[in-house]
Amino acid sequence: MKKGDAFSVKELPQELKASLPDVYVDDLLVSLKYFIDEEQSHLKIKDQAVCARCQYKPCLDFCPVGVYTLAHDGKIQVAYQACVECGSCRVGCPYANIEWTLPRGGFGVAYKFG
Amino acid sequence: MNTQDEKIRFDAIVVGAGLAGSTAAMMMARAGLNVALIERGQKAGGKNYFGGAIYTHAIGEVLPDFMDRKPPFERPVTEAGFWMLSKDGGLTKMTVQGGKLGAEPADAYMASRAVFDVWWAEQAQREGALLIPKTSVVDFIRDSAGQVIGVSTDRAQGDVYAPVVIICEGVNNLLTQKLGLIDHDLEPAHVALAFKQVIALPMDTINARFGLPDEKHGLAASVLGDVSLGLPGMGFVYTNNTSVSVGLGMMLDAVVEYRLKPYEVLQRYLRHPAIAPLIKGGQLMEYGAHLIPEGGYRDMPKLYTGGAMVAGDAASMVNALHWEGTNMAIVAGKLAAETAIEAHKQGDFSAQALSQYEARLKDRFILKDMKQYRNFARFLETHPEFMDAYPGFINDALGQFFSAYGMPKKTLFKNILGSLTSRRQLFKAVGDMLSMGRAVMGW
Ligand SMILES: Cc1cc2nc3c(=O)[nH]c(=O)nc-3n(C[C@H](O)[C@H](O)[C@H](O)COP(=O)(O)OP(=O)(O)OC[C@H]3O[C@@H](n4cnc5c(N)ncnc54)[C@H](O)[C@@H]3O)c2cc1C
Ligand code: SF4
Ligand code: SF4
Repeated sequence: MKKGDAFSVKELPQELKASLPDVYVDDLLVSLKYFIDEEQSHLKIKDQAVCARCQYKPCLDFCPVGVYTLAHDGKIQVAYQACVECGSCRVGCPYANIEWTLPRGGFGVAYKFG
Repeated sequence: MNTQDEKIRFDAIVVGAGLAGSTAAMMMARAGLNVALIERGQKAGGKNYFGGAIYTHAIGEVLPDFMDRKPPFERPVTEAGFWMLSKDGGLTKMTVQGGKLGAEPADAYMASRAVFDVWWAEQAQREGALLIPKTSVVDFIRDSAGQVIGVSTDRAQGDVYAPVVIICEGVNNLLTQKLGLIDHDLEPAHVALAFKQVIALPMDTINARFGLPDEKHGLAASVLGDVSLGLPGMGFVYTNNTSVSVGLGMMLDAVVEYRLKPYEVLQRYLRHPAIAPLIKGGQLMEYGAHLIPEGGYRDMPKLYTGGAMVAGDAASMVNALHWEGTNMAIVAGKLAAETAIEAHKQGDFSAQALSQYEARLKDRFILKDMKQYRNFARFLETHPEFMDAYPGFINDALGQFFSAYGMPKKTLFKNILGSLTSRRQLFKAVGDMLSMGRAVMGW
């Protein structure tokens, strides 16, 4: 995977793409338990200007719980409350534009099964 | 300001109450050391994730009487192997049952990490280790020579001192990076993003649908074929007592580059005509996602420095061919603990003294396995022709071959893999073929 401006995307064959069902991620999130830190987010966009320049914005898709969404003003919104702390966005953002820390001790996802 | 005397001191600190961490704490506490086991979650296991099945050989090595202590296992793995999903909705099963898989206690058990890890940490507490939950370690405390002498946490007055720290922080090894044991973060091409659903079903329904005689029998299957959209990846199915775990992992670079939504890929897999009837009517108990370090030996950090060692996923100790990490985490945690105990006897916690940890690992399967994989990865890099030959083998020949013969699959399987008796060997044989296939597709 190329990083920075050299990052480019690939496309699935049309037939495979069409075989992907629409899923409403909130239907999955209700199965998860969290201790939400209401005071501070453990995820931050370092520089929204970089996001504005990021052509493909893959974080909108690859986050397994849909933490990243596009706001009306075009900015990237971070619903850190839903994060399962997998680490994908820290290493998967082509511009390394996400400041990723662990939630404070005791906060964040609390798997019941895992 | 703390004065010398007010400092919180232990003989050893373990970061992370996962499998590696609680093992290390258990061993050191048993040897009489005063151990702090620091965990960021509300309790042990709350952050931890796997498929999955836990191997008992590693557990037995640390706790020979583990069965008497009533581990919270789900079903034993009495049937294991591979399922191949075809695009037209077919399913070819290549599984073994009986033989060694019928042993007591079983070679492996299904489990929930959020439950099992609590019990495993309790075994460490029973030996005298102090579990400190809801506490994140944020940095190291070092002396003027750079030797690690403790950790700082996100608690007020949260500095904790010890002459040796064992880092068992899991795949997101930020502390390991901070300590300079590795000079780069994870590479998307070297980690798998794995996600699954735990789906509740009545016990009898599971037995009937999966062809299991009763709840003393369980299936662990790796699922290949029409699972990951033709991209590098592998699915899995595990039967618990009253739920099944169904999920898949894909290399993160592919997920990012193809802009896939993991939950859509998972839903597509769950709707496959061979999978859907198995989970029909089941209730979603939990969805989740986690990374698996797949880089093997290439991505291993330096394993020790003055006053610190690193074990488990944090050190990329996962057999990338089979996604086995629990056994390696446990054995590595144990070997790090033995090294720390010896260091206490000698009163020497220098990098030189702790280098014994690596020597111990070399003696055991861990570094051998990892090296084997490195050689294999190199081999593939230098033999591109193999990358063309094998995926065909996996996707077409193998699937057709196993379904085309009129012979019962079990008999056929026995004939082909006659000498392969154990699950490990079986996984290895098919895993090697699989990794060839992976390499072909550019994983
Ligand atoms: C989907 C999936 C399926 C898998 N299936 C299998 C399988 O079937 N069989 C198998 O053998 N392996 C499997 N694995 C691999 C296996 O789960 C891991 O290798 C294993 O969990 C590693 O254990 P660990 O102790 O190194 O790390 P972890 O279990 O990740 O533990 C790390 C611990 O450290 C804590 N921690 C991290 N940072 C800090 C900090 N700064 N301060 C305090 N605490 C901290 C975390 O909260 C956590 O408790 C699977 C993995 C995945 C993701
Ligand atoms: S966070 Fe990263 S991937 Fe997402 S829009 Fe910003 S730069 Fe792009
Ligand atoms: S860590 Fe994982 S779950 Fe959390 S925001 Fe990043 S990609 Fe999403």
